[in-house]
Amino acid sequence: MGGRSTLGRLAAQLATGLVVVLVVATVVFFAFRLLPGDPTLVVLGEQATLAERAALRARLHLDDPLLTQYLRFLAGLLHGQAGASLRTPSRDAISVVVESLPDTARLAGVSVGFGSILGVGAGLVSVASTHGFARRLAERCIVLGASVPLLAFAPVVTWALSVRLRWVPLPADPDAGLRGLLFAGLLLGLPLGAAVGRMARATLLEARESPFLRVARAKGRSRAAIWLVHALPTCAGPLVTVLAAQLGALLGGAVVLERLLERRGLGTVLVDALAARDLPVLQACVLVSATFFVVVQALGVQLHAAIDPRAR
Amino acid sequence: MRRAWPLLLVVAVAVTLRLARAADPRRIVLVDELARPSLRHPLGCGDGGVDLLAVATEALLRGLLLALVVAAFSLVLGTTLGAAAGLRGGVAARALTRLCDGLQAFPSFVLALALVAAVPRPSRLHVAVVLALTAWAPFARLALAELRVIRGLAYVEAARALGAPPLQVLLRHAIPAALPTARAQLGSTASALLVSDAALAFLGLGPADGVSLGALVDQGVGTLVRAPHVLMVGAGALTLAAVTVQALADRRGV
Repeated sequence: MGGRSTLGRLAAQLATGLVVVLVVATVVFFAFRLLPGDPTLVVLGEQATLAERAALRARLHLDDPLLTQYLRFLAGLLHGQAGASLRTPSRDAISVVVESLPDTARLAGVSVGFGSILGVGAGLVSVASTHGFARRLAERCIVLGASVPLLAFAPVVTWALSVRLRWVPLPADPDAGLRGLLFAGLLLGLPLGAAVGRMARATLLEARESPFLRVARAKGRSRAAIWLVHALPTCAGPLVTVLAAQLGALLGGAVVLERLLERRGLGTVLVDALAARDLPVLQACVLVSATFFVVVQALGVQLHAAIDPRAR
Repeated sequence: MRRAWPLLLVVAVAVTLRLARAADPRRIVLVDELARPSLRHPLGCGDGGVDLLAVATEALLRGLLLALVVAAFSLVLGTTLGAAAGLRGGVAARALTRLCDGLQAFPSFVLALALVAAVPRPSRLHVAVVLALTAWAPFARLALAELRVIRGLAYVEAARALGAPPLQVLLRHAIPAALPTARAQLGSTASALLVSDAALAFLGLGPADGVSLGALVDQGVGTLVRAPHVLMVGAGALTLAAVTVQALADRRGV
């Protein structure tokens, strides 16, 4: 892979990513049309009359040949459209989804922040601390964060901090504001922090044995300097990789958390579309997530290569 | 086997409790609605007076069954694909590696959610199939990596030189070499599947009778203020299941 320009590599990755998105779009398209069960029944419910179902079939062009539907779907995608939302027919499904992105992006950003800081911190303590107790505690925290599911601890912590202690806003509180965002971001960031912590621990253990640290020690640098200035930066590259790898899980966690704390965002759009069986919106959610994921992955690899020359 | 005993212990206890308990987790006894734990109902009652001990044990067993079956299937499928592609090498191996890398970090939960939602009455089989769509990728990835190492080794070359048919090389040498790392991945994958299944149920896509870990947590969230014990039972059962399955992947002593 050596010798190719950064731009060339990025272009190749985005091209692969585009193929992935296209494959996903195709899979979702055909899945919705080939799965057992009449989609009109799914959307309208079992009580729908034949006339209502026929009308919906006509609106969704379900009686056209499959290939025609597929081509129409692809053409629509080029214009950034995935069909009208069934719940709000005046709006296109993709715009409904895209509108919810900023809220989820804010939540994801806060989680990544918390997760990175807590994870790297825990990893550092678990390797570098002089107190055995602190090292073991940090390691146990990392393992705990990785084993206890978000779905289990988030409601319990919410109950403890919100309902009992009133330290954080209650779910569905419209004035939740910054406190609510920080709380949600912290909850979502904990599993991420555990994955980051595991990586940081492994990277720092490796760095501890490396020649360049030995040189720093021989030069008489202080312990703080050795760890913070010399060893810690080795985590930068792997951190980007771990974050990119955990993105899918983060999105899943965000869906659950938004439903739990009744916050606006992609998760809520998804769950509402679920309840209403709004198939175009569900399709759009998958597409938008896939595209976003592909872009972030590509950027992540480039960022990693930029930070850490060893990864090129 | 790695730490399998926590899982076996939990399953044994759950099965015993479930069989010993006469209460049906689906039986509604309105007068017992949200009752606190008592001698008659050791874990209390949930919505509609369902006995939480019965619900928790049955939900736990159902969740474990789905997670382990899908994980085992993914192990077989993924390891075979990865070993076969790794043995061929070249384009096949590279293409599969790319595909697996893409799938592994993909927001598969969102995909699973959308696919299960498209079915009018999603059954456990639907959920299992949808989850399996992406679960095989880590196993294939591991097998590919393993194969890259052993492809060049003497015994594989020898087998080929002796004229062994490719299928035999695959079954006798490639797949067995890939299995040890695959077994380690089994615990992580099964744990993740368990949690994904619970999350789907939490969002309303679980079994129709509502006996599942996710639905139990959902019920707990709904009765958070009036009866917190329901949530504790749900969260506890889910954590217990996830942790014991995850232990399958841990080495002894680590």
